[in-house]
Amino acid sequence: MKKAITIALCAVLAAACASKAPGPSTSADGGEKKKFVVGYSQSNNAEPYRAQLNLQLQHFMTKYPDIELLPIADAKQSSATQVSQVQNFITQKVDALIVSPTEPAPLTAAVEQACQAKIPVIILDRTVNTDCYTAFIGGDNVLIGKKAGEEAVKLLPDGGNVVELRGIMSNQPQIDRDKGFREAIAANPKIKIIADREGKWLKEQATPIMQQWLAQHEKIDLVYGHNDPMALGAYLAAQAAGKAEQITFIGIDGLAIPDGGIRAVQLGQLSATFIYPTGAEEAAETVNKILHGHQVDKNQVLGTTQVTKDNAAELYKKYDLSGQG
Amino acid sequence: MTTKTAPPTPAKPPGENRLRRTFSALGAAQAYIGLVLILAVGIATKGDIFLNETNLTNAVGAFASRGILAVGVTLVILTGGIDLSVGSLLGIASMTAAMMLSKHSLEPWQIVPICMVVGAFFGFLNGAGTAWLRIQSFVMTLAMLSVVRGLDRQVSDNVSVGTQIAGPDGKLTPQAEAFQLFGTPGHNLFDRIYYPVLAFIVVCVVFHLILTKTRFGRHVYAVGGNPTAARLSGVNVTAITIAVFTLSGMLAGFAGPIDAAYSASADPQAGQSYELDAIAAAVIGGASLAGGKGTIAGTFVGALILTLLDNVLGLNAVSDNWQLVIKGLIVVVAVVLQRPDLFKFFRGGSRS
Amino acid sequence: MTVLTMRAIGKSFPGVRALDGVSLTVAEGEVVALLGENGAGKSTLMNILAGVFKDYEGEIEIGGQVAHIHSPKDARRHGVAMIHQELNLVPELSITDNIFLGRERTILDRKSTEARSAELLRGLGLDLSPRRLIKQCKIAERQLIEVAKALSQNVRVLVMDEPTSALADAEVRRLYAVIRDLTARGVAVIYISHRLEELEEIADRVVVLRDGTYVGERSEVDRDELIQMMVGRPLGEMFPRADGGGAGKELLKVEGLSVPGEPGTGRTPLREVSLSVRAGEIVGVAGLMGAGRSELLETIFGVHRPAAGSMSLGGRTYRPRSPKGAIRRGVALVAEDRKAQSLVLGNTIAFNAGLPSLRRFLRFGMVDARSEQAAVERQVNELRVKASGTRFTVGNLSGGNQQKVVLAKWLLTSPSLILMDEPTRGIDVGAKAEIHALMSSLAAGGKGVLVASSELPELLAMCDRILVLCEGRITAEFSREEHPTQEAILEAAMARQKVTTL
Repeated sequence: MKKAITIALCAVLAAACASKAPGPSTSADGGEKKKFVVGYSQSNNAEPYRAQLNLQLQHFMTKYPDIELLPIADAKQSSATQVSQVQNFITQKVDALIVSPTEPAPLTAAVEQACQAKIPVIILDRTVNTDCYTAFIGGDNVLIGKKAGEEAVKLLPDGGNVVELRGIMSNQPQIDRDKGFREAIAANPKIKIIADREGKWLKEQATPIMQQWLAQHEKIDLVYGHNDPMALGAYLAAQAAGKAEQITFIGIDGLAIPDGGIRAVQLGQLSATFIYPTGAEEAAETVNKILHGHQVDKNQVLGTTQVTKDNAAELYKKYDLSGQG
Repeated sequence: MTTKTAPPTPAKPPGENRLRRTFSALGAAQAYIGLVLILAVGIATKGDIFLNETNLTNAVGAFASRGILAVGVTLVILTGGIDLSVGSLLGIASMTAAMMLSKHSLEPWQIVPICMVVGAFFGFLNGAGTAWLRIQSFVMTLAMLSVVRGLDRQVSDNVSVGTQIAGPDGKLTPQAEAFQLFGTPGHNLFDRIYYPVLAFIVVCVVFHLILTKTRFGRHVYAVGGNPTAARLSGVNVTAITIAVFTLSGMLAGFAGPIDAAYSASADPQAGQSYELDAIAAAVIGGASLAGGKGTIAGTFVGALILTLLDNVLGLNAVSDNWQLVIKGLIVVVAVVLQRPDLFKFFRGGSRS
Repeated sequence: MTVLTMRAIGKSFPGVRALDGVSLTVAEGEVVALLGENGAGKSTLMNILAGVFKDYEGEIEIGGQVAHIHSPKDARRHGVAMIHQELNLVPELSITDNIFLGRERTILDRKSTEARSAELLRGLGLDLSPRRLIKQCKIAERQLIEVAKALSQNVRVLVMDEPTSALADAEVRRLYAVIRDLTARGVAVIYISHRLEELEEIADRVVVLRDGTYVGERSEVDRDELIQMMVGRPLGEMFPRADGGGAGKELLKVEGLSVPGEPGTGRTPLREVSLSVRAGEIVGVAGLMGAGRSELLETIFGVHRPAAGSMSLGGRTYRPRSPKGAIRRGVALVAEDRKAQSLVLGNTIAFNAGLPSLRRFLRFGMVDARSEQAAVERQVNELRVKASGTRFTVGNLSGGNQQKVVLAKWLLTSPSLILMDEPTRGIDVGAKAEIHALMSSLAAGGKGVLVASSELPELLAMCDRILVLCEGRITAEFSREEHPTQEAILEAAMARQKVTTL
């Protein structure tokens, strides 16, 4: 029995490994042309946004044939796992390292280790507490929150009641998206946030919260979701109560997947969403420059694009990678 | 003279005995106290906003998939085991449902049995590991929680899959239209009945009858109460153990489409930590993790307590942080209420 | 000199007056036996002395001074130790750890404590490693380890609740020697037992309780008189089966049965056991602890798989793969440990009694609760189980009534062969007589009964034939006509027994 289990386990392991790209193949084969090896440690593959990021990064890396991206390491939301992954990459002597930290503090030491090993590090999306990296690429959540707030001001010229569905309270993007939004709607004092609750980024959490708000409050004019799934969860609740037409919904993320925010804008469920840039294209470009000895900007803050009914189809096409990579 | 607390000739007034019998059939009486209290607080603070069909349907509907998980978990707990994998099983079943719908355009009535088979398959593995390999169910199902979540994420590529699928004409396909009846808010059967609520109640009634009226039900209680005595009484303990895990998995599979329809999409994270809500519902309803004690009626009440509590707190705009505190305390209070001996202990009475 | 005086002790439980104005004095070096039926108040009285109950009425004096005993710790401080009938040992800990449990020094000194416990074990004639885990010890050994635990403390009063209920006769002798040794050192012993014949030998004085009150005491043991005091009426013949009656056709035939042992659990292997039981016959199985009595009955019941040998039941091949298969062929087992092996204590009488025979009550796949209830009620009433109804929780019944529920449960399956393992252990005289009467009537009704017991008088009185097991082998067989003596049986039971083990 035990033997059978061991064999089965080995088979599963082998299959799992085979499904990924083969391990680091350095310059041994050809010899004349050096092939660069790049490692990427992702904080959590299970978030749709990050899954999209992974896909895009793999896609844009194929543009540079002399660079090989190792299988993406998934830290599964654990800082400890991510630290050891980064250290593994250092031991493997990768030529460049991309890290999307789960949290700033725990990853700082590991990034510094890489820096001391003279490995160029690109911090993608979230920050670390050290200057010892080559480039930071990421979106600006305060800016995006602000854009969402400005859109709300535009949509509610006579003021109105807003409800806000927040991400996990302790997450930095949640704090920033809330901050930017509140700053922007201060422009019109008649716009009031009458309720806000933690929806934990999840659609199924948002629906019952919205149902309760609809029961409590006579008039809700606008729902601001810190991400598209929460805004859409609220939309489902409003639609069920027959109030979807009277309320406008704003989300953030704008993923180009069938179940994502761009499609929802196309369908008229969300009146707007804001693309939170993955930074994959920029990361690939930056890696290429570093490896070939070019200068790069240390701090690359990415802008956002507002998705409206007019540009939705075009943006979807631009970012949709399901047919490629 | 073997038991110290037993009266030598037990003689209780018949009236009290009948009362106790009725209650023991319907679960712990104390659980009802909690439910009544929460209803009272809801009505007192929010009146009609709380006490109307829409609000109550919404509240129960939001918890229905977890409630169905709780029924399965109760079966396992009754045999003295635990099932931590139900949240993951619900996740993969909801993903299965969404994929069957979007990739293969199956009819909803075809999707449900497929999801139940998927859930039952993993549940069977739980049971086989527990009964045949003698792995403690906590460990076995903890492992399954991880394995199934991983598979769920692998098949979905970490991307949520929507269930509102538009055909070439821009309208929902007939299958997607019908699938919404499984619980997309605002879609009712016969214009009035919200399927998740109906499904939850039907599952409770069916499993209440199975536990109280069938030989299998008796055997479940016997295995949990004393596995050795059960075996020596001709109960196939192995088969019962495998059966309860399989049924628990099957129910998780049954709840999958409901969860997918509720969010109009299957998220690769769906069902995460649902197992804890399910276990809490069973425990609040009087189930003992030691096995042999508990009822479906109790679990039903436990589920209502959890979801109505959430509703009442939400309607009263209690902050998220305090909600967490209050919900945790309620579990402790509910469990203490189930244990009259604890009161005796505090009063300084004897426990031998 | 009087060491213990209990004066006008009273205790009430919700709805029951368990003890009322009972007084008891015990002198140094004296063995006082407490006698009474189940529920007479013996255990309650002793639990008060051992500090199990916080509240009670009356006064306790130890060594001439008032002792306020309200917790087990108080009792220990006053030199009172009690060996409970349900042994309080931690299965996963070693013998040494159990003996010194709760009294360990902060820093454990393994060597000296182990030496001390080895010495205690030797004093009791136990040849066991002090490091052995309790779960690997047999019940008799555990009983003696409890004694060792009590002895390791400075005892002035030692209470023993049914200490011999799990012991075979040779082990009982060993215990008596220990008790005599203790009394010689001035320890007072209070001894609770149902076995009248033991009291004759060990007790200086017998105090009889009935329904929570003091009935009287005797220094001379007169069996009939004591029984009359206990039950409040003359009992007549204690073992009612005077005559074997006519045995019928052969029911069970076992040939060359061998079962491998299991080192981890201390299960005795069976070696080429052959026997037969006829319809209407009561066959006894005698033997010391670890002789394989339980293993034999369990193997016939399909619990263990035999490695060799064959069985037939009612003329057909009988090869049970599980208890389920055995039950289907009409075999029932009243197991040795009714709490651990026979009953779901937290559930009702009806639940327990109906469990193996539910098949009978199925209608359209559902259990017909009404017909089940009626059958259970009939059976339970027939056996005179004392309870307010079939919804009563089994765990709250007295030992005798619990055993009657076990019997009811098996009778409901209408078995043709009934295996009984220690059917009267820890049961009061009244219930014991009832169970003996039941065995006789089962045999008279054409059933076969195979009964294992460590009480030889019981076997001698009840059985048509007695098989003697030793180390998993049958070493002798006696028929009723041979009029075997206890000595003859014991000799067979110890044949080829190594001298070192007890």
